[in-house]
Amino acid sequence: MAGQVAESGTTHRRAESREILSQTDRVNTATNQHTHTHSHRSRSLKSSIESSAEAKFSGERERITGRVTSMRHRSPTRTDRHSTQEKPTEKVILENEDPRLSNSGSPVGGSLNTSSKTIWNPEVKLVESTLSSLASRMMAPPLSAHTAGFSKPSEISRLSVDAQHAVIMDDLLYVLVGTEGQYIRFHERYNPSLESERLAGPEFRLTKGLDASLRDITKTLLKMATYHLSVEAFVDQQSKRDYGVVNHALCAAMRTIIKEYLALVSSMEYRMLTDPSFTLNVFYLETMPMAKKLMELNYIIIKLSKKEVVQPDIIEDTSSDFDKIMETLRANDGNINALNSLGTKTTSVINKGGDVIKLLTDRLYSVSGDQSARELLTFLLREASRPYVRMLNLWLHRGVINDPFNEFLIKEQKAIRREKLDQDYTDEYWEKRYLIRKEALPSQIADDRTCEKILLAGKFLNVVRECGGVDVSSEAKDAPETIDDSRLLANVDAAYAHANSCLLKLLINTHELSARLTSLKHYFFLDQADFFTSFVEVASHELRKPAKFVSTSKLQSLLDLTLRQPGSITAVDPFKEDLTVQLNEVGLTEWLMRIVTVSGLDHTDSAAVRQLSFTPTEDRTNEKDNKKAYQGMQALQFDFKVPFPLSLVISRKTILRYQLLFRHLVALKHIEQLLGASWKDQAKSTGWTHKTTSKALRKYRARASNLRAKMLVFIQQVLYFSTTEVMEPNWVALMNSIDSIETVDSLMQRHVDFLDTCLKECMLTNAKLLKIMGKLMATCRMFSSYINSLSRTLQAVEAKVLENEEDESISKLQALLDQYEQNFDHHLKMLMDGLNYYAATETVVLLSLCARLEVCINI
Amino acid sequence: MPREIITIQAGQCGNQIGAKFWEQLCLEHGLSPDGTLREDLPVTTADRKDVFFYQSDDTRYIPRALLIDLEPRVISGILNSPYARMYNPENIYSGGDGSGAGNIWASGYHAGEKLTDELMDMLDREADGSDSLEGFMLMHSIAGGTGSGLGSFLLERLSDRFPKKVVQTYSVFPATQQVSEVVVQPYNSLLALKRLTQHADAVTVLDNAALSRLAADSLRVQSPSFDQTNQLVATVMSASTTTLRYPGYMHNDLVSILASLVPTPRCHYLMTAYTPFTADSVDAAKSVRKTTVLDVMRRLLQPKNRMVSTQQSADSCFISILNIIQGEADPTDVHKSLLRIRERGLASFIPWGPASIQVALTKKSPYLQSSNRVSGLMLANHTSIASLFKRILDQYDRLRKRNAFLEPYRKQPMFAEGLEEFDDAREVVADLIDEYRLAETAEYLS
Repeated sequence: MAGQVAESGTTHRRAESREILSQTDRVNTATNQHTHTHSHRSRSLKSSIESSAEAKFSGERERITGRVTSMRHRSPTRTDRHSTQEKPTEKVILENEDPRLSNSGSPVGGSLNTSSKTIWNPEVKLVESTLSSLASRMMAPPLSAHTAGFSKPSEISRLSVDAQHAVIMDDLLYVLVGTEGQYIRFHERYNPSLESERLAGPEFRLTKGLDASLRDITKTLLKMATYHLSVEAFVDQQSKRDYGVVNHALCAAMRTIIKEYLALVSSMEYRMLTDPSFTLNVFYLETMPMAKKLMELNYIIIKLSKKEVVQPDIIEDTSSDFDKIMETLRANDGNINALNSLGTKTTSVINKGGDVIKLLTDRLYSVSGDQSARELLTFLLREASRPYVRMLNLWLHRGVINDPFNEFLIKEQKAIRREKLDQDYTDEYWEKRYLIRKEALPSQIADDRTCEKILLAGKFLNVVRECGGVDVSSEAKDAPETIDDSRLLANVDAAYAHANSCLLKLLINTHELSARLTSLKHYFFLDQADFFTSFVEVASHELRKPAKFVSTSKLQSLLDLTLRQPGSITAVDPFKEDLTVQLNEVGLTEWLMRIVTVSGLDHTDSAAVRQLSFTPTEDRTNEKDNKKAYQGMQALQFDFKVPFPLSLVISRKTILRYQLLFRHLVALKHIEQLLGASWKDQAKSTGWTHKTTSKALRKYRARASNLRAKMLVFIQQVLYFSTTEVMEPNWVALMNSIDSIETVDSLMQRHVDFLDTCLKECMLTNAKLLKIMGKLMATCRMFSSYINSLSRTLQAVEAKVLENEEDESISKLQALLDQYEQNFDHHLKMLMDGLNYYAATETVVLLSLCARLEVCINI
Repeated sequence: MPREIITIQAGQCGNQIGAKFWEQLCLEHGLSPDGTLREDLPVTTADRKDVFFYQSDDTRYIPRALLIDLEPRVISGILNSPYARMYNPENIYSGGDGSGAGNIWASGYHAGEKLTDELMDMLDREADGSDSLEGFMLMHSIAGGTGSGLGSFLLERLSDRFPKKVVQTYSVFPATQQVSEVVVQPYNSLLALKRLTQHADAVTVLDNAALSRLAADSLRVQSPSFDQTNQLVATVMSASTTTLRYPGYMHNDLVSILASLVPTPRCHYLMTAYTPFTADSVDAAKSVRKTTVLDVMRRLLQPKNRMVSTQQSADSCFISILNIIQGEADPTDVHKSLLRIRERGLASFIPWGPASIQVALTKKSPYLQSSNRVSGLMLANHTSIASLFKRILDQYDRLRKRNAFLEPYRKQPMFAEGLEEFDDAREVVADLIDEYRLAETAEYLS
C-alpha cells in the first residue's frame, strides 16, 4: 500500500502538466493530461508563446522561438519551476470505498458542475485492486468556462484574418493534444467528470467572430480533437482491470495509434513554427488520414461502449442475499472480481472478450472496401485478439482455462465436481462443467462445429489431466497468435484430433475400456450365465421373498461369494469387485412403461394382474396387498461402479440401459428356471408320473406338460433371440467399431446407440409389445408356480376320479388349464401380430423372432 | 458353484465309452493325462472345468466319475493307460474275479444289490463333494449284464436317493439287425428299458449298429473297432455338454437343455447326430468339403448321420430338436438355415406341440485345432425311436414264447419267485411304444 501511494505521488506530479504563458496576457488554462501513464506517450509541450495578442494586433508577426517542442516528458522539477501561483495544492486521498464510485460520477465532479466558478482543486484517489493507470484516477480539470481567474482573450474579430489564422492554428495545436485553447474551448455542456461524456468526446466552442473560412476548416479539424479525446478516454476506461485482457490489448493497440497521432501533431507544430507557408489547409490535408483513423476508432468506441450502461447496484440488494454472494464467490473460486462485480452490474454489460473481437470483425467486414480503415481494423483485431488466442491455445493444447475476467468462450463451472459423478444420472459433469458462452463468440469460431470442437478438445485434455496426471498437452509449435490467422481453424482441428486420440488412448489402453465393456457384458448380458445360475441358486431363498423384505447386504455377500468361486469364469474377472446388487422395487415392465409412455400408465400392470387374477393363488396375494408385490427376483438388478474417465463412456445413463436389458434377461431366465423346475417336477413326482388308468387324468397331464413345453419354447426363443440375435451381433459390431473409432464423442454415441438398439430390438421400447410381453411373462410365471404345486392335488384328484369317474375335480383342473392356455395363446397371437406389424414398420429384426415364435402358435 | 454332474460308467461298454469321454474332455480343457493343466498351452478362462472335474489338493483336476465294473478287464485297461492317475481310486469299483455278470441282467442287478452300501457310499461322497449337484450321467449298454443290470439297479437307487436330481443316460442299444453273440440280449434290454423309462429323465440312445455304420462310413473301414466307435460316442457326449462347459447365453445347465427336448416326461428317449466327423475327432476320418451352418444343419437331419438306426414310418416325426452348433456360426446364417429347413419341410414335427428346431451356439474349445469351421450336434426327440423298442419287444416275445435261456435269471433273487418282472417290463415298454405312436397323432392331447 505504501508503495502504491508513493508511486501515485510521482505519477501525479509527472502527469500533471501545466502550460504557462508568462509573457502574454493569456493565461493558459491549467491543463491536465488526465489520463496517461505510459512512458512512450508523446506530448507536444508549449512552454511559452512570445507573441501576444497586442503584438499580433499591431501587425508584428513575430514568432518567439522560445516555444519548445518537447517529445519527452517534462521532469517534475521543471514543472515546478514553471509553475505559477495557481499551482494547485495536491492532495492524495486514499479511498477505501468502492472504487467504481470514484471513477464515474464522483461527487467532486458533480460539485464542479454546479459551482460555476471554482478554482481547480485536484484530488487523486487510489483505487485498490486494479491494474489500471493511476493517473486515470485523478479527477478531470475543470473547464475554463467554469473556472474563475482567467482573463478573457481579446476579441478575435478584431484581429486580421492572418492573425486569426495564426492564433487559431496555435489554439488548435493545444486542443489537438487535449488542452483548451484561448479561442477554442470545451463546450459548457461538456462534463469531463462523466465517463460517458468523455467517451463521446468533448464538443468545442469556437469564439465568435472568427473568419468564416477559418471557422469551417477549424471545425473540421476540431473533430479530430474530439475523437482523440474520446479515444484517450476509452483507453483510460478500458484499461481497467475488469475489462479483461482483450480490451487491454485493444487499448494497447489504440495507444500506438495515439502515439502516431501525437507525433503527427508535434510535427505539425514544428511545421507551423518553421514553415511560413504552413496553413490550416495544409494542416488539414496532412492530418486527414489520421483524422479518418481516429474517426474509425471513435466509431468502434461508441459501438463498444454502447452496451455499457453503468447500473450502480443497490447495495442492500446484493448484500442481503448472502447466499448469492457466496455462490458467486464459489463459482468464481474466490476471484476478487466476483466481489467487484457485485457492486455494479457493469460486468454483465461490458463488452469484452469475444464480444470485442466479434465487433471488430464485424466492423472489419463492413469496411472492407475502405483500404485504410481495413488496415486499421485488421491491426486492431490482430492485436486485440492476441491474448484471446493465447487463451484459446492454452485451452486447446493444455485444457487449461486462464480467464480471470470471464471473457473466454468456455465457461468453467468449478462448483461441479467430479466426485459427484458416481451418483450423477444426468452426466452433469460432462455436460455442464464446461459451457460455451454462446453470446460472446468471435465470428471466426462461432459456427457450431468449430466451437463444439474447441469445447471438446479442452474438455478431453482436462479429463486426461484429471485422471492420472498424465501430461498430454501438445506443445503447439506453430500455433496462431491472432484470430485472423488462417491457420486458426486448422489449429483447432489439430488440437481436437490430438485431444481425441489422447483421451481415446487413455480410455482404451490405460483404462481398458474393452475389458470393462466385456465385464459389463458378462454381468449384465449374462453371456456366460453360469455365475448367474449359481447366484440365483444360492440366493434363491432370499430372492423368493417379496422385494421389500429382501436384504441387499445378504444378496451382496452371496454375490461376492459366487463371483469369487474359484474355477468360475468370473473369478478371474478384474472388475468383479465393482459389481453390486440393488433391488429396484419398480417392476421392469412398469418401469419401462413409465419410460416409454409420456403419461404414467400405472394401471396397466395391475390391469394385467386383474385379468389374470382368476387363479386362487394370485387372488390371495392380491387381496392382501393391493399393490403388486414383486419377488426379490423380479426386483433384482446389478450396479456397476465405473471409475472416472471411463464413466464418461459408461455413464449412469448407459448403466441404466444395461440394467434394463439385464432385468429383461433375468426375467426370462427366471421363468426359464421356473419352467425347468416344473419340468423336473413333472418328470419326477408321483402325482405326474404315477401310472393311472384314468384317461382324463392322463389327458390332463399331457396337456399341462404340453403347455409348459410351449411356454418354455416361447421363453427360450425370446431369450435366444434377445441374446444371440440382438445382443451378440450388436456387441460384435460395437467392439469392431471401437477399434476404428476416432473421436471420444462418437465413441460415447456409439455406445449409447448400441444399447438403444439392443433395447429396441429386445422390444423394450414399444409400449404395445411391452404390455403384451409383460402379460405373457406373467402368465408363464404364474402357470409355472401353479403347476409346481400341483403334484399333490393330482394324486388326490386321481383317487377321487378312480372312485367316481364323474368326479368334477378333474374338470375343474381342466377348466383352469384351459384358461391358462387360452390366455397364453391369445397374448401370443397378439404378440405375433404386434411383431409382424412392427417388423414391417420399425424393427426388421423382429421378423426373425416372429419366425421363431410361429411354432408356438396355432396348436 | 457350478452345476456339477457326476458321471457313472457301468460295465464294459460304459467304461470304454467313459474312458474315451474323459480323454476328450482332457483335450478340450487343456489337461494332461494326469489331470494337471498342460503348461504348453495358453491359459484360457472361458471354460468351466468344475462341472465335470474337481481339483485335488495338488491342484490336479479329478473327474467326477464313478467307474464300476464287475469284471476287471476294462478298468485295469484304464488303470494301465496314461490317464490312470487322473481318476480318484476311491471311485473305482472293479470286480475281483473275471466272471462279471455273465451277460445276465439279473446277476448284474443282484450284484448291485449286494454292493449297495459300497456303491451308495461312492455316490454320496461324490454328491457331498459338489456344491450344487445338478445330476448324474450314466454310461452303459443295455445288452450286457453289468451295464444293463447294475445300471438298472443304479437308476432305481439314484431316483430313490436323489429324487430331485436329473438323471441322464447314454445307453448303447444292441445292434438288433445282426445276430448277437449274447443270446439273452432281448431279456436284458427289455428289463433295462423299464428302468430307463421309469427312472431316467433323458436317455440318449446310441445304437451299436448305427455307430459301426457311421464309423465305417466316415472312416472307410469295413468293420471299425470298438475304440473307433467309442470315440464317436465320446465326441457326441462332449459336444452335448459344451454349453455346460463353455457357458454362453443359454443352456448352461442340464435342465434347460433337456426340458425343451422332453416336453412330455415319458417320451424322453433322444437320438443324436453329429457332423462332420473329421480327423480331429475321429482318427483317419475323411474330410468334409464344406461346412456352412446350413450344410451342417441339413446333414444333421439326414437319418444316415444319426447314431441310431430306426425304421421311419410315414407318420414318424420329431417331437423336438436342439442343435448345438460349435464354431463360428453367424446368427443370421442360423436363422436363414432354419427358414430354409422349414420351407423345404426337411423336418416333420408332431402336430400337437411347439415344433421348432432350437439352436444353441457355442464356441469350440480353444485347445482343439479343427479343420472345419462349424460342426454340429443334433439332440432330437423322434417318434421313430419306438421302432427300436418294438424290435426289442419282438425279439423278447420270440424268446419268451419258447421260454428260452430263462434259467440264469431264475437263479437270481428277483426271478426266484416267478417271471412277473418280465411281464411288467414288457407292459412298460409296450406302453412306451403306444405313447410314441400316439404322439405321432394329433389326438395325443385329447
